[in-house]
Amino acid sequence: MRNLLAFLFRYRGILVFALLEIVSLIMLIRNSAYQRAAFFNSSNAYVGRVLEFRTQVYDYFRLVDVNKALVVENAKLRQQLYRSDLASRLHDSLRVPGDTTGSRLRPDTLILGMQAVLTRSSDYPLIPARVINQTLRRVDNYLTLNAGSNQGVQPGMGVLTATGVVGRVRQVSAHYATVTSVLHSKTNLSAKLQRDNTFGTIKWLGEDPTHALLDYIPRQNKLLRGDTVVTSGYNAVFPEGVMVGTVDSFTQEPDKNFWTVRVKLAVDFSKLSYVYVVGPQPRAAERDTLETRSGLRTPAVGEEGVQP
Amino acid sequence: MGNVGQILLQLLRFALYAGVHVLLISRLSLFNVGWCLFYLGFLLFLPIATPIVLLLVISFVTGFTMDLFYDTGGVHAAAAVLLGYLRPWVLKLLTPRDGYDAQDSVNIHQMGWQWFLVYLVLLVGIHHFAFFFLELGSFSAIGLTLLKVLASTLFTGITMLIVQLLFFPAKRRR
Repeated sequence: MRNLLAFLFRYRGILVFALLEIVSLIMLIRNSAYQRAAFFNSSNAYVGRVLEFRTQVYDYFRLVDVNKALVVENAKLRQQLYRSDLASRLHDSLRVPGDTTGSRLRPDTLILGMQAVLTRSSDYPLIPARVINQTLRRVDNYLTLNAGSNQGVQPGMGVLTATGVVGRVRQVSAHYATVTSVLHSKTNLSAKLQRDNTFGTIKWLGEDPTHALLDYIPRQNKLLRGDTVVTSGYNAVFPEGVMVGTVDSFTQEPDKNFWTVRVKLAVDFSKLSYVYVVGPQPRAAERDTLETRSGLRTPAVGEEGVQP
Repeated sequence: MGNVGQILLQLLRFALYAGVHVLLISRLSLFNVGWCLFYLGFLLFLPIATPIVLLLVISFVTGFTMDLFYDTGGVHAAAAVLLGYLRPWVLKLLTPRDGYDAQDSVNIHQMGWQWFLVYLVLLVGIHHFAFFFLELGSFSAIGLTLLKVLASTLFTGITMLIVQLLFFPAKRRR
């Protein structure tokens, strides 16, 4: 017994070292899974509070940029409100069930990423939120928002900004939410080319935060630089037709049946400040259950869309 | 200084390094390939005689705290524990001819330029190497990652040097 204790004491350094390394690596591996222990992440209340304070500190340095972005967004919104050509004002004054006066002046839709999104759909309203923490240059990037379950955010909802798709809500606490950004190695976002409706899948290779890869576009298809890539209707998270980016370059690799398409993302992730959380598309849960039951998709949580 | 005072002092140092890192420095980046992991200063400048087990636990807690803020699970913790484990080895490697005095601490003025630079570059380099490759999880983008390691080592190293020159006493406490 004494020998055992002496042995343990003698090698205490390496033993504790090995123990702590194993604990860290286990945490790291479990963290890679899409959902993880509810407590140890930045949607935890205390960490959230510190991050919010940090955002206040950083805001001070970023005031100019934030102001510019807001001015641009305001200009865009104003353009939507007072367009000279009244004939093209779609959706602007959709009547909400139960509202018979017809005198509603505020728009019921907001154009996010070139797509009109209902602002006050009764089940799933559009929730504005502020980005209070964000990573950009990692292999898996996340955002933290200052809106949580109290504001109606739920895991799995989509996150948009005025210019396009940002990501998907991953975890929610009372006042904060963490978001898996499009810049994530497991991103699997169903998208299509707006010009000819070819379906593909957006992936991120982990290097350049301004570009992503559009996969599964068949080789025989014609492509153009500058083609608009939007979300497809296969996707239960985002409305159809929300801007993802534009085709930047495309190459053919000899051993593949698909084009390798580099897409310039519409959202500038380095300047994110205000975003909107959108609810799931109508009857998404029903569709999910059906598709899972008929074996179209594995019940793994978190994969967005279906690969064609 | 009593034990309690020492513990309080170290807690204060922890709060200072971690606070400055999270609130100010964590978003700085050098051409998007270099970051300054400022909180390492807390671990690097701990007293030389810190027992190994305590050092490992402190490293783990520090790394884990950073993981909470970065949402990275255990990358910071794993790399910090490695740093904590290797620190006594590097100290032993660099022992002056007549051993360490009781008053010696990791201080550029006391130990000299050469001693301090070797200490800093070795530990920070190993830490950043482990950190960036653990974060990547594979060896796929080796060139970019090595560039990150190099740039970050320079950035962190120079910051630590500045901290030493600005805030550490030049004269031995008598």
